[in-house]
Amino acid sequence: MDEYPPPPDDALDTQTPPPPPQPRTTHTGSPTDFLKGVVGKKVIVRLNSGVDYRGVLSCLDGYMNIALEATEEHVEGNVTNRYGDAFIRGNNVLYISAAEEI
Amino acid sequence: MDGSSSGIQEPFDLIRLSLSERVFVKLRGDREMTGILHAYDGHMNLILSDVEETIMIVNEGEQATVNVAKRKMDMLFVRGDGVILVGFYIV
Repeated sequence: MDEYPPPPDDALDTQTPPPPPQPRTTHTGSPTDFLKGVVGKKVIVRLNSGVDYRGVLSCLDGYMNIALEATEEHVEGNVTNRYGDAFIRGNNVLYISAAEEI
Repeated sequence: MDGSSSGIQEPFDLIRLSLSERVFVKLRGDREMTGILHAYDGHMNLILSDVEETIMIVNEGEQATVNVAKRKMDMLFVRGDGVILVGFYIV
């Protein structure tokens, strides 16, 4: 009859699993917290039409209407227009992305 | 506001500061216009005067060309849901 040695103690699943690794940039918080953190920073705003606008975020509101300073319009990678200040109507906005570290 | 020289509280302030100035408006349907901004509201309905509208017409074909049609109007009401962007020339 084969006698196997008893399994070592640490093979039993009595230990709690180690905590999952923390992501390097912990952005825990609501979207509102992100928006508060990104005001005054350089952002990329992509519209539903695929056009990008890069500029410094002056402010925004709950409809995602956006006020940008020093705005560049990028269409398919090319800069097509520059505006000193720009207001973007919120319904056109697909996303707002931070272009620099918050 | 950190470092913002214009002291804007919300995006509509940006528009309010530009009343009676010439603005550039980008609209749906590949249209752009410049005009003097007289009034706006929360829907982005606009009243513009001394307007020049530019319509981009893309010719789909072997050679994709873009034609441009312009027209001028003295006074214009723009419905807000067509507005994409309002730009101000301080460049």
